Amino acid sequence: MEATAIHALLQSRFGDAVSDYVDGFEKGSLVAAGRVAEIAAFLRDDPALGFESLMCLTGLDWDGYDASGKGKSVDILGYDELGRPQASDRVGDGDLGVAYALYSHRHGHKHTLFVRVTRAAPEVASTAAVWPTAAWHEREAWDLVGIRFTGHPDLKRILLDEGWEGHPLRKDYVMPGAWQGVPLDGRDYAACKWDESGVTLPDDVKRPEGPQQPEGTQQPESGNQG
Amino acid sequence: MSETAIGRGWGGQDVRRELHSELLEINMGPQHPATHGVLRLLVRTDGEIVHGVTAHIGYLHRCAEKIAEGCDWRQWMVYTDRFDYLAPINMNFGYAVAVERMLGVRVPERAEHIRVICAELQRIASHLIAIGTFGLDMGAWTPLLYCFREREEILNILERLTGGRMLYNYFDIGGLRFDAYDGFERDVLAFVNIMEQKIPEYDTLLSYNKIFIERTADVGVIDLATCLAYGCTGPVLRGAGVPFDCRKDDPYSIYDRFEFDIPYGEGEQGTVGDCWDRYMVRMREMYESCRIIRQAVDALPGGPVKAEDLKKLVKVPQGSLYTRTESSKGEIGYHVFADGGSKPFRTKVRSPSFSNLHVIEKVGPGMMLSDLVATVGSLDIVLGEIDR
Repeated sequence: MEATAIHALLQSRFGDAVSDYVDGFEKGSLVAAGRVAEIAAFLRDDPALGFESLMCLTGLDWDGYDASGKGKSVDILGYDELGRPQASDRVGDGDLGVAYALYSHRHGHKHTLFVRVTRAAPEVASTAAVWPTAAWHEREAWDLVGIRFTGHPDLKRILLDEGWEGHPLRKDYVMPGAWQGVPLDGRDYAACKWDESGVTLPDDVKRPEGPQQPEGTQQPESGNQG
Repeated sequence: MSETAIGRGWGGQDVRRELHSELLEINMGPQHPATHGVLRLLVRTDGEIVHGVTAHIGYLHRCAEKIAEGCDWRQWMVYTDRFDYLAPINMNFGYAVAVERMLGVRVPERAEHIRVICAELQRIASHLIAIGTFGLDMGAWTPLLYCFREREEILNILERLTGGRMLYNYFDIGGLRFDAYDGFERDVLAFVNIMEQKIPEYDTLLSYNKIFIERTADVGVIDLATCLAYGCTGPVLRGAGVPFDCRKDDPYSIYDRFEFDIPYGEGEQGTVGDCWDRYMVRMREMYESCRIIRQAVDALPGGPVKAEDLKKLVKVPQGSLYTRTESSKGEIGYHVFADGGSKPFRTKVRSPSFSNLHVIEKVGPGMMLSDLVATVGSLDIVLGEIDR
């Protein structure tokens, strides 16, 4: 079935829940976040559509996206030359989104569902009951983008540690400066000391100049710096 | 639960104790030879019977998708190598095809042929590891050594071609980084001639070995409905009896020009979709890959290997596209969102092993602990692409 026909069928069935037809490299429909699960069940079960396969579920952050297509989207925050996390005054805005790439083995056609939710309330109905493979993809989208999937059987982080703060694929994500007390900001780790009293971090290490050191305690110059 | 046993205590007195059984939680991994990487399976068992499997992944997570947002389109190619480190060329291929489709660039004929040859060589190398380590999981040491012997030949050819033995970074947007060396065709044909004779040897060694069949036939059956629901692709889906392959059913590059068959599971030794079927699909695919390589070498034209009209800093027009190609493990998909600039806005990698591993939580309960090892081995997962 043609993508336009699929879109028209969805629109006649779900009315307002299906809004724009997305006509780009891939064809699809923009649908309402709260009703994705119903739409998904219809897409899978309707004999003319038969989308039994969810190829891919992508969570993404539209923050700072350049809609004019000139590639002027906002830069992500990384580390500076000294390895320190970059910070910014800019407050992240813009929607979060989910894209569902669907394929029907029976009919050989494809369709992509797009969902947009606000940053303040990023809640999307879970499709894990329709396509069980979505369960892990949704956990990944929660983990990396921070989209909450309502009705998900077990929504928790999947790739990152349970105690991780923030969602790395958000455009306003600030890279961590430390992880579990260990700084990540490019300090001189060769100068670390580790004894029974604990770890002395490089900032606190006073490195004596070479000639002033007592004989026999001088560190070799070549170490694994950094 | 209610039975009592009478034993003898330290002082020689009778001790009555209630016998009971309980579910025992066992960690398989993160450091365990049968998990094929840094994977932790939390297995709830009652004796030898598995009651539940929970997969804990993420030990190799590097957030390559975040790194992509800071790279330009060409730069990120080197990170795709690191997903499936046993088949990096297949990972390169998927990303190259995804970006080229959005750019609308035509890849030169010579580059397309060399790409196909490399990808099929890589598929054989990856399947050799899959078969060898699967044999190892089942207690067969010898086939692994035979498999590594042939894999070494492939690595030698790829090393001569690209300079790398494991991670190649050979594909580029719009073609290849550089042309093949003189005598590449001769080396490849010499290898294919040997390889085609070796496959019957593996069959005698392993495939039709009585013990191997006993350990794998009727074990870990994943039926078609489960495969589709859980997004299983590649040899797992084909093992369940469906000849679905992106090379034929969603053609990319120049695969539509070659004659080859798609092997699929028929339940030859047991049930359709058992471990033996998945294993045998890989074995037969190696033969089909040899067929493709022969045809590609025969048709290999001269000419450039880079698209000439492409600038050094490519800018992909605004939009999004999900592109999938067939890696050795299954369907590797790149969902690329572009904003018209020189950097990817968002690239999601849908890795085959991610979905193929997920199914273990469904099929694991009810099987024996030793069969769980067989099933995980037959899925042929690589943690680099699961964790990304």
